[in-house]
Amino acid sequence: MNPTIPRWWSGLGKALWAAALALVAISFWMASRAPIEVQMGPVQKIVYVHVPSAIATLIAFGVTFAASIAYLATKDWRWDGLAASSCEIGMVFATVVMITGPLWARSAWNTWWTWEPRLTTFLILWILYAGYHVVRASLRSESRRTISSVMGIVFFVNLPLVWKSIEWWRGSLHPKNVTMVPEMRVTLLVGMAAWMIFYAAALLQRLRLEWHTEARAFSDTAAPAPSEGRAQP
Amino acid sequence: MRTILAVTMKDLRLHARDARFLATLALFSASLVLILSVAFGPIFGDPAKEASATLWGALFFAGVLGLTRALDLESESGGGDALRLTGADPYALYLGKTIANFLLVSADFLILLPIVSIFFDVGNLRVLPGVLGVAALGLVGYAAWGTLFAALARGIRARELLLSVVLFPSLVPLWIGAVKLTNALWGDGTIDPVRDWIKVLAVMDVLGLALAAFLYELIQEATE
Repeated sequence: MNPTIPRWWSGLGKALWAAALALVAISFWMASRAPIEVQMGPVQKIVYVHVPSAIATLIAFGVTFAASIAYLATKDWRWDGLAASSCEIGMVFATVVMITGPLWARSAWNTWWTWEPRLTTFLILWILYAGYHVVRASLRSESRRTISSVMGIVFFVNLPLVWKSIEWWRGSLHPKNVTMVPEMRVTLLVGMAAWMIFYAAALLQRLRLEWHTEARAFSDTAAPAPSEGRAQP
Repeated sequence: MRTILAVTMKDLRLHARDARFLATLALFSASLVLILSVAFGPIFGDPAKEASATLWGALFFAGVLGLTRALDLESESGGGDALRLTGADPYALYLGKTIANFLLVSADFLILLPIVSIFFDVGNLRVLPGVLGVAALGLVGYAAWGTLFAALARGIRARELLLSVVLFPSLVPLWIGAVKLTNALWGDGTIDPVRDWIKVLAVMDVLGLALAAFLYELIQEATE
């Protein structure tokens, strides 16, 4: 089957990008206007980027997991494309979490890094999914899709570990419950919506690239082979 | 059951034929213990903690040599294809290999245990059964996950490097659990304060074996 991009794809992508950029701008504006937390001061506003990015990371890797299962069940390259695309965007969000986390920690806990359960499990998660891309990039054969899907499933085991680490292990510095004034809560919710739409727009864009790559591969294999013995220009 | 046993015996026979490999494995892991004990010593701050971290660190790193060895030999001789052509259940092949890997790292563990005990002056006969129990739990998980990832890395260039990239982060809960339990046994003589880690090790063991039940056949097909 010749992979062709559906017509509505481009329109939906543009609409999502417009919505994402507008919402991100609104969430930054709201964060700047949100009340300043008494103990930490303005540094607390990192939470409006840190928490939505962490949730987007978990959702992106969750999509990778689901799409990997779907690929192994159907062997349809589009599922593999979705898994790899979502994983790439998840890595970007995870990196944002890894950068904003220490900035917060320095101010809140007086250290850039501490080996507390959630930080440790999230770092493991980051390394694992970085490994996903390294392994995937090193494979050139048909097995790439299957091996990537297996990794997408196996690595997902760590996600509940990250989520539940603050309950399962003692000594966590991450709070289990957070109380916020309504303005702060609304700002956080808008931030979450903004980053989720940003994720959807980026995913659509990345899938488009995957589609083009597949179409190129299809046209290369469909093209007649050059005749042997022909002189090279 | 017969298939599992046959594959285990085949892999163990392959290892036994190559005395140089076994010697290299033992020497490499002993060297790691030596390096880490020098790094922590000569006066140890917390011998039980440092000894358990050294023991499990050396074991996990050296074990990678064993994980890829049997698969490498199979690839060279075409033994892997021959195994598949027998029509044997892929999960039985996986279990056979896992048992062989478990026995190999267990042998390495038994070599390292007295070395670590002497270098760090830790452990006694009273806690030895507990330490062996922790080792059994930890090494079953190591072999289960390691065999799965070794099969995954079979078709990849620089597979030892890539195996390390994906295997070690996956094994971190197993490593932390094994270190904490061994440390408790050597330090306090009891595992009561860290008993929950037994559950973590057991869950990791079951998870590794269960994931392989679903995925090993697919991996085998993909890396043919």
